[in-house]
Amino acid sequence: MQPYQEEYIANLKGISVLTARKKSETQSFEEYLHDLSLTKQRVEQIVERNMELLRNHLFPLLDHMFEAKETELEELQEFAANLIDGRNELDAELFCQVHQALLSRARLAKDRNGIIRELYWLGIGHHNICNKMIGLDLSETEKYMSKMRLCFAEAAAYLKYYDEIEDSETKGYILRSRANMALGQFRSSGEKIRLGKLTLQILQDKDYQAKTPELPWERYIYMTHQQIASSMSHSRNNNMTSQDIADIMDSVYIVYGKQIQEAEEQNKKPSVRSTFSYYAIEYHCGLDTIDSFLTRMENLMDAADPADFSMESMYGLISLPAFYCQYLREYPERMQDRKKYIESLYQRIWDYVIAFPDANVNEQLFFHLSQLASTFLETENSLSYGTFLKKMMIRFASSIYVHSYVVGKAAKTLAEIIMNEEPTFFDDIDFIQKIQDAEKKKQDVLDYTMECGLLHDAGKINFVSLYTRTVRHWFDQEYEMAHLHTVMGKIRLKEHASTERYADIALGHHSWYDGSRGYPSSFKRLESPYRQMVDLIGLIDWLENVTHSSQLYTGVRKTFDEAVQDAIALEGKRFSPLLTARLRDKKITDPIRSAFVKGRKEAYQQLYELKYQINVNIVSN
Amino acid sequence: MENMENNSIKDNKGYIVVEQNSRNQLIILYADDRACAMTGLTNEELLATDPTRVINGLEMVPVRLDDDHELWILDTAQNRMQRISKLEQMNIALEDALKAAEAANQAKSSFLSNMSHDIRTPMNAIVGMTSIGLSHIDEKSRVQDCLQKIQTASTHLMSLVNDVLDMSRIDSGRITLSEEEFSLADMVHDITIIIRPQAAQKNQSFHMEIGQIYEEQLLGDPLRLRQILVNIIGNAIKYTQTEGNIHVKISQHLEETGSPRESETDTVWLDFLCKDNGIGMSEEFLTKIFLPFERVSNTTISKIEGTGLGMAIVKNILDRMNGKIEVESKEGKGSVFRVSIPIHIASQDQKTLALPKGETVLIVEEKDDRAEQIAGFLQEGGLEPIRIKSGLDAVTWLTEAQYEDRMPCAMLLGQELPDIPILEMAAHVRQLAGQDFPIILVSEGDWAQIEYRAERVGVNAFVPCPLFKSRLFAILSDLIGNGHSDKKTHAGKKIDYSKYRVLLVEDNELNREIAIELLSLIGIQVEEAENGARAVEIFKASPEQYFDLIFMDIQMPVMNGYEATRQIRSMSRQDAKDIWIVAMTANAFVEDIRLSREAGMNEHLSKPVDVERLQEILRTRLK
Repeated sequence: MQPYQEEYIANLKGISVLTARKKSETQSFEEYLHDLSLTKQRVEQIVERNMELLRNHLFPLLDHMFEAKETELEELQEFAANLIDGRNELDAELFCQVHQALLSRARLAKDRNGIIRELYWLGIGHHNICNKMIGLDLSETEKYMSKMRLCFAEAAAYLKYYDEIEDSETKGYILRSRANMALGQFRSSGEKIRLGKLTLQILQDKDYQAKTPELPWERYIYMTHQQIASSMSHSRNNNMTSQDIADIMDSVYIVYGKQIQEAEEQNKKPSVRSTFSYYAIEYHCGLDTIDSFLTRMENLMDAADPADFSMESMYGLISLPAFYCQYLREYPERMQDRKKYIESLYQRIWDYVIAFPDANVNEQLFFHLSQLASTFLETENSLSYGTFLKKMMIRFASSIYVHSYVVGKAAKTLAEIIMNEEPTFFDDIDFIQKIQDAEKKKQDVLDYTMECGLLHDAGKINFVSLYTRTVRHWFDQEYEMAHLHTVMGKIRLKEHASTERYADIALGHHSWYDGSRGYPSSFKRLESPYRQMVDLIGLIDWLENVTHSSQLYTGVRKTFDEAVQDAIALEGKRFSPLLTARLRDKKITDPIRSAFVKGRKEAYQQLYELKYQINVNIVSN
Repeated sequence: MENMENNSIKDNKGYIVVEQNSRNQLIILYADDRACAMTGLTNEELLATDPTRVINGLEMVPVRLDDDHELWILDTAQNRMQRISKLEQMNIALEDALKAAEAANQAKSSFLSNMSHDIRTPMNAIVGMTSIGLSHIDEKSRVQDCLQKIQTASTHLMSLVNDVLDMSRIDSGRITLSEEEFSLADMVHDITIIIRPQAAQKNQSFHMEIGQIYEEQLLGDPLRLRQILVNIIGNAIKYTQTEGNIHVKISQHLEETGSPRESETDTVWLDFLCKDNGIGMSEEFLTKIFLPFERVSNTTISKIEGTGLGMAIVKNILDRMNGKIEVESKEGKGSVFRVSIPIHIASQDQKTLALPKGETVLIVEEKDDRAEQIAGFLQEGGLEPIRIKSGLDAVTWLTEAQYEDRMPCAMLLGQELPDIPILEMAAHVRQLAGQDFPIILVSEGDWAQIEYRAERVGVNAFVPCPLFKSRLFAILSDLIGNGHSDKKTHAGKKIDYSKYRVLLVEDNELNREIAIELLSLIGIQVEEAENGARAVEIFKASPEQYFDLIFMDIQMPVMNGYEATRQIRSMSRQDAKDIWIVAMTANAFVEDIRLSREAGMNEHLSKPVDVERLQEILRTRLK
């Protein structure tokens, strides 16, 4: 690699180290703040340096791609390989940019092997991006899934010329691309299984194997079975034929059945994942009832050791409950008898997370908890969904939490001023309109505003790596992807009784007042009874972002006074004139300014007390 | 007529004048001919007879004239019976006339009542929304919403008034039909644009099928024709429940037995069928469907608005066009309207379309009927269709075709694929197949909605559905024509680029060469600058409107692209403000895009040189 490439990679890795540092036990709050400030400075320096490296070195190379030397191309390959190294993703979007450029060059040069290789890696890059979208509807993610699948499909098409291709590495790319066509979500599970089965037929073809014995055929076949077996979780949502089920059963046996058998033969405990998968397929194939299946899952969850922080335990203690809740959502009549169990389950999970060493930097733990968040079940006495989300934010996305807390605090300040002047301002919201007592109404509005601030960015939990681990400015594609946090937030919050009233705020807080711009298009301001609150949170969120939170990844940096002037200039367009009119009054902007400062300090105080280090998008006062 | 009948009845009677003399005797003073005929006596005999004796067997009605005289009206029993019978007939006729008058009056009253409601409803909306808008005058989005609603209500109101005016024109015989040349394809396209959103609003499945079409260029009154079809389809939408089905078929046939135009060879019959599964009509209503002011009465559709004049207007226009209309309907099941109209064929002055005979065209379409229709048209045009149902299979096929150097001359991409969104598919094929490969979208969708995105991803053209052969051939001819063998030529819409001039600002010599090569291939004039400062000098020295577009690299020695753009924009000449400047750079950060926009650039083109995008920009910006 070129020195600038090595430096860029080192910077990405360095950020993880920086944010993984533990707070000293004896550190005072002031020292903690000072430490944060230094960390922030360091992060800013790294981001600026990374931008320099890309602008001064990488982009000129991409600009001059057609005359790049072979050695430069090889270095570029190596650099890209470091951006996504196996499961360790440092910068998926840059990885895609580099491989897209290499693919363009290969196409122009009609370099067949180069085209196949670059299509494969570009597909892998897109796959990494798709992984960030777990929980979103296919309608939102299909664009990204398709990009990935089309790359793999084109590379796999060269299978026809397998005999012509001498290079076994290229042959490997073709076969892996063929198998990877079945990755991700599909409109129908049947299609996913069909693709998997076709791949299996190819991989099990003795002719192909004989032509390239050096390829790891067994591994390819096993991984394809794994993919088919993973289709099982979709089986309740889609129409599957009996043949589909039979195909899945076959793969489940190969992937999990054998493991169980072997473990039993050696008197060992089979893995939780294998056992659950086996139980699940028995249920889906009609060999078990839902009640018996749920009981078997409870036994597995109960058997998991809360003092064990291995992947196996994490699966049993967090992922399995997520699946358990998913089944209960489909059979709500089974909920009644299991309410107490669910309540204890969540308590147990959270105790486990608290005890987990370095939880806030453990991506696997976060991944499992994200699964749990997407199938969360709320009961009268369980943890509320909103509380669960806030705990997730504090733990894994502390910078998002700080931003949300500050927005809540400042929005509450403006809401109080408004309520004093105009007590019916928020009366379009049904539950507020119904409150007769003026004092209670005001208090409820203020509490609601604070909670709206805290939850307006709940959807960002799905895109944590984008928001908290991007150590450069965003590319426009990432900016586009970030838009999805509004839709994701709405989906998540709408599903639960305790958070339903915050769904519109999450969906609409980036929409423009006059509807001319902003996102998402699915938010129709005038149709939302919550629009006044959406306007309020939208304005305060924007002020906070341009003065603090988003400067690292968008490069926008304004002072509070500049931001206020800009907001006034956008009156009636982006922002409600009912709100911006108030920003002309210094007696109103001063308390908001103070709320930003005070709110930030309070949020840090909470993190300090929880002994959490804050992650990349660190902000300070 | 009535008077004549009355007279004839009067004529059948006899009249005598009787006087009572001083001796109380009755004598006949006068008798008319009819009285003589009835009694069988001569006038003299009758005057000499006792009147009480002559009335035997006759009916007599006395009318007192004075104290001494009476007029006796004589009648035979047969006469009387005839008269009664005639009177009864007249009474029946009068009763019928009265009923008809009452019904017409009832329909008009109901029409007035409906109209006053129908007019009041949008009027109320207009008044109400105006007042809401005024009270929220500072809230732009609220006012905008009010104005949009006012616009909708006004449009509706206008259509009500137009219907009434049309009916009045028909009633007074003032309606005239024009005869002008029109394209059936254009007319059908216009109709779908009007109708589709209405059906979409009710989540109805609206399917428009085009059957056998002999002639697309016709002579007739396209406006009135459109009015007929829109009225019938509009009713189907109105009277069909949410998520219902509406199927429309348009076709032609050449002969019609008994047609007044049978002997003419310059006429085709336009057949139109509209079938829905809506509320349907009762048999009773079917008998008066074409009467003015009649509307189906049904509690479920009480909110449906309209004048009730639509079908009467349709029938009247059709009568004037010598067309026919048939309706079948069953309450709760739906209705079928069949219309046939004879229309003149426009003079056969068709352009010969240049299609590369024998070349392959790839159809990527999930729907069998659509794919078959496209394939049929292509075969008629001498092209060889290959149909693939899914996106992934099409990518596999294209990859193999490209590798084996047997690429099709174009790809027709359907509206929806089972596995991949069409725009993603188009974007990938553009990369795979290169900039010369024509990608054509065949879709029922609204092109205006996706045009920007579709062009950006590399779609060359759009053929709207329902599909007409002429449109498909025109696009294919435009894109591939006979010049297909010269694959180096630009594949997009044929624009004469030679009159355009671009300034290419790029420091890298090889990149500059590649770009110039590509731009020159399509005939555009290119001038080059190796850095921003040089670009500013060249632009400054050129006459106004000399350049049509600037491609500006960002990172360049001496002066970068941002600064060069800023300097160009700050010049006082008019074209400095208007000229389209495209940033060319690998820097695709949000901030970079923001900076390029802030510097005054209009658009961003990623590097390494994406030749397809470069040409797309030319196509969209220079057309």
